[in-house]
Amino acid sequence: MPTVTIHPTGEVIHLEPGETVLSGLYKAGYAYTVGCRRGGCAICKVDCRSGEFSYNHPVADTVITESELDDGTCLSCRAVPETDVSIELRGESVRLVNRFLHTINDKARQRAEALAAAAVTSGTTHKEQ
Amino acid sequence: MAVMRLGYAHVRVTDMAEAKDHYANTLGLYETLSEGNKAYYKAWDEWDHHSVVLEEGGVGLVKYGWKVQYSSDIDEIEKKAQAFGVTVERMSKGDNPEIGDGIRFTTPSDHVFEVYHAATLVGTEVGTHNPDAFPRHLVGVGVPALDHSLITAEDPGLMDRFLGDVFGFYATERVQTSLDDDADIIATWMTNSTQIHQLAVLAGPQGKLHHFAFRLGDWTEVGRAADLFSMDDVPIDVGPTRHGITRGQTVYFFDPSGNRNEVFAGGYLAYPDRPMHVWTPDALGKGVFYHARELNDAFTSVLT
Repeated sequence: MPTVTIHPTGEVIHLEPGETVLSGLYKAGYAYTVGCRRGGCAICKVDCRSGEFSYNHPVADTVITESELDDGTCLSCRAVPETDVSIELRGESVRLVNRFLHTINDKARQRAEALAAAAVTSGTTHKEQ
Repeated sequence: MAVMRLGYAHVRVTDMAEAKDHYANTLGLYETLSEGNKAYYKAWDEWDHHSVVLEEGGVGLVKYGWKVQYSSDIDEIEKKAQAFGVTVERMSKGDNPEIGDGIRFTTPSDHVFEVYHAATLVGTEVGTHNPDAFPRHLVGVGVPALDHSLITAEDPGLMDRFLGDVFGFYATERVQTSLDDDADIIATWMTNSTQIHQLAVLAGPQGKLHHFAFRLGDWTEVGRAADLFSMDDVPIDVGPTRHGITRGQTVYFFDPSGNRNEVFAGGYLAYPDRPMHVWTPDALGKGVFYHARELNDAFTSVLT
């Protein structure tokens, strides 16, 4: 299960499989500037510094231009990480608005990390589980 | 009266199945035709074939259709648009399914307008003979009709003049940089009937859609619509609240492709001789969102 690391503060968010970056951040108690949350307005774009993601819906070429397809631009409401990713917001920082959700997400991340470590120790990889 | 109403809004959607679910099951529109990559809808209290067209591929506005009272109005509007300096082309019956001959032009704001007189009469869902007050089995919000739209343009003052000269619209309310005679127009709300606005224009990028709105009866219906949006996981932008401008009661929300919709109730009756309401930027927050009295950054930046 992928994680999102927020550059430069280094917070790590645990995502459920198939979850978008935006959904994952909000479910972890964070907020930032978003608009339609449905891929149309382009306001929630962030920069992906490392890792791979794909879009779970068709994205209009007026929203993501051809050059933005491979320059790290990440339309966070539609982007589903395929690996651990590191993102950087454009001109703002995430705001923690629900610390209860943040605690729950932190525990989910620690459990996932412990499971992955145990799997390595027992000789099976995460993907074979 | 030349232009009677905003006849149809034709918008792009990224995913037709999700869009159909939203417009049919959440808003309660009736599908009248689905062919190729387009689907056509009408609301229950509308009589023409369609008022909303969804086209798969992209987001944002394709065009608006404006219905005129007489076929001769089309020629009048063509002359006035040409006099304004706009290139007008003729459109033929069938260019749009169930819509007659007309004209098509691109406005100074880079939006495509079509003007037509004939549309296939389908009839309202309650008919005309001893009609009941509403259909018994409405779905979701059950909006009765398309109401108005808000677009953005680099020069709203130019669009104010264009809509005045070509459509005979007048401004009911404006946002201006000041009360001085030479103030710049930041936004304008325009109509040619007692409807408080048929089209509003806000300063912003050319050719963009801010929202298109459906009519509701009162506060209670607006509140119920917002409840349904929560049930259906429809992203609510703002509301329920009231606009200071128009005095309408509102919820802004997004369709599954990110096009902004609104449900709008109330608003006072407009008359050409009623002194225009003028808002200045210091009160713009109250003008747009009468209770929060503060603009959010999405209001002017989130467009499709």
